[in-house]
Amino acid sequence: MNKTININLSGIIYHLDEGAYENFNLYLNAIKDRLSHEEGGAEIVADIESRIAEIFSMRLSEGKRQVVTQEDVDFIISTLGRPEDFAEAAEETETTQTETKRRFFRNPDETVIGGVCSGIAAYFNIDVVWIRVLFLVLLFFTGIGFITYIILWAAIPEAKTTAQKLQMRGEPVNLGNIEKKFKEFEAQGKAFGKKFKNTPKGFFDFITNTIGAILGFILKFFGIVLAIVGSVIAFTLIVALIGVFGSTWNLGGFDFIDINGYIYGMDGAQALFGSGWRLMSLRVGTLLTLLMPLFALVVFLAKLFGKSISNARLLSFSGIASFIIGLILIFISVGSLATDFKERSTEVEKITIQGNSLVLEADILEESTGFLFDIDDDQLRVENVRFNIERTNDSTAHLELKHSASGRNHAEARQRAQRFDFKTEQTGETLRLSEYFSVPEDALYRGQDLKVTLRLPVGTTVFLDPSLENIIYDLENVQNLWDGDMLGHTWIMTERGLDCADCPVIEYYSAEDLEETIEEELEAMDDEIDRKIEELELEIKRLKDR
Amino acid sequence: MKIENTKAQMRKGVLEYCILGILSNGDAYASDIIEHLKNAELIVVEGTLYPLLTRLKNTGLLEYRWEESTSGPPRKYYSLSTEGKAFQKELKSTWDALQKAVEHITTSN
Repeated sequence: MNKTININLSGIIYHLDEGAYENFNLYLNAIKDRLSHEEGGAEIVADIESRIAEIFSMRLSEGKRQVVTQEDVDFIISTLGRPEDFAEAAEETETTQTETKRRFFRNPDETVIGGVCSGIAAYFNIDVVWIRVLFLVLLFFTGIGFITYIILWAAIPEAKTTAQKLQMRGEPVNLGNIEKKFKEFEAQGKAFGKKFKNTPKGFFDFITNTIGAILGFILKFFGIVLAIVGSVIAFTLIVALIGVFGSTWNLGGFDFIDINGYIYGMDGAQALFGSGWRLMSLRVGTLLTLLMPLFALVVFLAKLFGKSISNARLLSFSGIASFIIGLILIFISVGSLATDFKERSTEVEKITIQGNSLVLEADILEESTGFLFDIDDDQLRVENVRFNIERTNDSTAHLELKHSASGRNHAEARQRAQRFDFKTEQTGETLRLSEYFSVPEDALYRGQDLKVTLRLPVGTTVFLDPSLENIIYDLENVQNLWDGDMLGHTWIMTERGLDCADCPVIEYYSAEDLEETIEEELEAMDDEIDRKIEELELEIKRLKDR
Repeated sequence: MKIENTKAQMRKGVLEYCILGILSNGDAYASDIIEHLKNAELIVVEGTLYPLLTRLKNTGLLEYRWEESTSGPPRKYYSLSTEGKAFQKELKSTWDALQKAVEHITTSN
């Protein structure tokens, strides 16, 4: 719904809609200005007004309309000419351009979202690209850009009329400039009629226009939300995919993926995917998936810089297609990898240890990757060793190595479980363990882990060197100390488990603590007695049977 | 030097003569005159004409009368005054001579 304003031309009343009136008024005033110095200027103006009235009447009755629109004003201007044309002794001098006060308007002719950026650019008379880049930077790094934009969008009015558009740029609002603007519009292929045709002509039009406006607003709103979410997702996707891409192709040793230090770059991908079709499929897959956000970025940047891409549709179509194909390839690759973890098998190996007084040490890796994977010399180094100490009823101590691995089927899992290498070395009392074990590179990483258990007969003493720190795992002991606290002490294997030989006397913090400890010890004694009784009963039975 | 400017100067020079010529064939109101001039491509926009008509009228070459119009406000019908008729004849002979002279000069080269 547009407001109309009534004017009187040569004694006839015309209704002009608001925008049309504003421009028409400017036009007529410019003419009057021009002619005020001429002899008989008032008469000329009267003649012109009369002519305008004639044209308006003609056009209104032709179109069976009541209201003079911008279209009519435009027709008047093109028929009668610019104000300069009215001066009879037309000196071809340009009117001096006085800089008028600029006003903030949103620019509806150059918008990505709401025309805020282009409005600001017009106000400061700089290229809109810089403002947009500034907003994007603010958006990505602080998020302030988003809030600022919304506020400005709401607060700054849109430049609706040509006069406002001129004020937005600080150009003087005179007819020459308005005419210039019209020419620009036409040059932009924005037919004037089209732009102003949506003036409501009846109730039905009013309803459709209102619904259209509301829908437009909703769409715009969701559009912004989508655009923001989309660009964040695209950005993340690009970063993630560049990571996968870099790690699968080993571009100069990028270590992009570092999920809690578990997988390291190239080694991670190769240890998992081997070097066959799976790795190739993953590589091609990530490459293809990368194309879509890249294309999207290209199109987005092109829009940002106001260039239209001729084959944007082809670009987005091929982007989506390659994204889907890429995803399928990645899924196939990862899916087939998952089947390799179906069955699990464990191999046990025993190593006899000499002596009843031991010093335990570990070879600390100088370049530890924290947990998994490092390929050198065709060996996959796995830092997944868990060390424990338990009591044995045998007379001599021994190391038990339990190596587990997964496979597509049981046979494969067993075969893989057999293939591992763990270095131990005994020199005199000193037993050196290694912090890692290795498997052949072609065995790939299939969840291999190694449990190393030192089984000691009762009475054996063992010193735990602090170097064991990384492999020691949940050692049972009489004192109930944490693993870390057990290091640096000498322990003796008793019937009740490992007992500290040189720990400071434990201070109990409360009566409850003490009671609890006593209770636990009593229970342990009971268990021991039960076990002895059982043994004796078995012995008695054996003797009786004889 | 813009060609457009030169063209405009040329047209402007003959405009008065053309208006008088049109009116020598009968009375006309502004839009009629404009129509003729536009068809002959002597003017592009109407605005140019109104100050000219007013000046010609004020110098006594033209007279006018009001006539009611069915569409819009009353119209000014212009006609040549006796002074204007003489003026027009004078200009005609000048124009004819001028045309011949221009023809002669531009073709004899």
